[in-house]
Amino acid sequence: MIVLRRRVGQAICIGNDIRIVITEVEPNTRAHLGIEAPTSIPVHRLEIYEKIHQENCAATQGDTMAWLKGAANDS
Amino acid sequence: MLILTRAVGETVTIGHNIRVTILSVKGTQVRIGIEAPNDMLVLREEIIDTGSEQPAEQG
Amino acid sequence: MTHKEQAWKAIVEVEQAETFRFPQGMVGFPDANDYVMLNSGHGDIVCMQATNRVEAAFLVTPWDKKRLGKQPDLSADQQACLQDPDENKLLWLVVLNPFSDPAWVLANLRAPVAINLDTSQGMQCIQGNPQLDLHFHWMRQPGQAQQAA
Repeated sequence: MIVLRRRVGQAICIGNDIRIVITEVEPNTRAHLGIEAPTSIPVHRLEIYEKIHQENCAATQGDTMAWLKGAANDS
Repeated sequence: MLILTRAVGETVTIGHNIRVTILSVKGTQVRIGIEAPNDMLVLREEIIDTGSEQPAEQG
Repeated sequence: MTHKEQAWKAIVEVEQAETFRFPQGMVGFPDANDYVMLNSGHGDIVCMQATNRVEAAFLVTPWDKKRLGKQPDLSADQQACLQDPDENKLLWLVVLNPFSDPAWVLANLRAPVAINLDTSQGMQCIQGNPQLDLHFHWMRQPGQAQQAA
């Protein structure tokens, strides 16, 4: 992990396309991060990203087509 | 520009292989941890700007 | 001495189906970028199958306004990624999970899929509203013996 110290108005660049600027700091509490990235690169809070990742894995853990065919036969 | 507010210990994901975490907020200084693939440069923005730095203005 | 080489390939034939391009893939499957919709005749539930990863096969169904309320919102970034779709050319799909609950097929209302029908481009759009249910009871499991995965 690379660790950098930043203040309001200062920015970090990652690769060629990504820029993160500190837009605001609530003293001793929170940082407001302005993130500039191409629209093809998704940006998310980690906790929600992981929840959705988990749900997608759960939704694909079995044989989807087999379930669908079974359900079609059943109806 | 997307603006996300994060407290100490919280993380932002960028793409699927970059993570940015707020490690501490002491007064108005933020310590930020960045995890990115080894082939991606992570730089303070002002370092990049140094390349085209003008000489100090005179008068 | 002649040297004969025989190349033997198995060819899987897929109907010339329309491919949908997901530049960001699905959450957790960033490299599964092209999908076909496979219909198996069960109402309006289809299998959204990635063309390059067998396991990236998602059950989806259209967003039902009567049951779920108004369609989800696109954030500015999501709108840009989908190339600014017309509202009436935007198809919303819900991802279904038939594997976690023995009694219910679950619907993830928090991260629906949006497809721009003009450009055949799609993405999974995580919604900001934390009230949206990740495990909405969509329908009861059909009465069938569960096959081991």
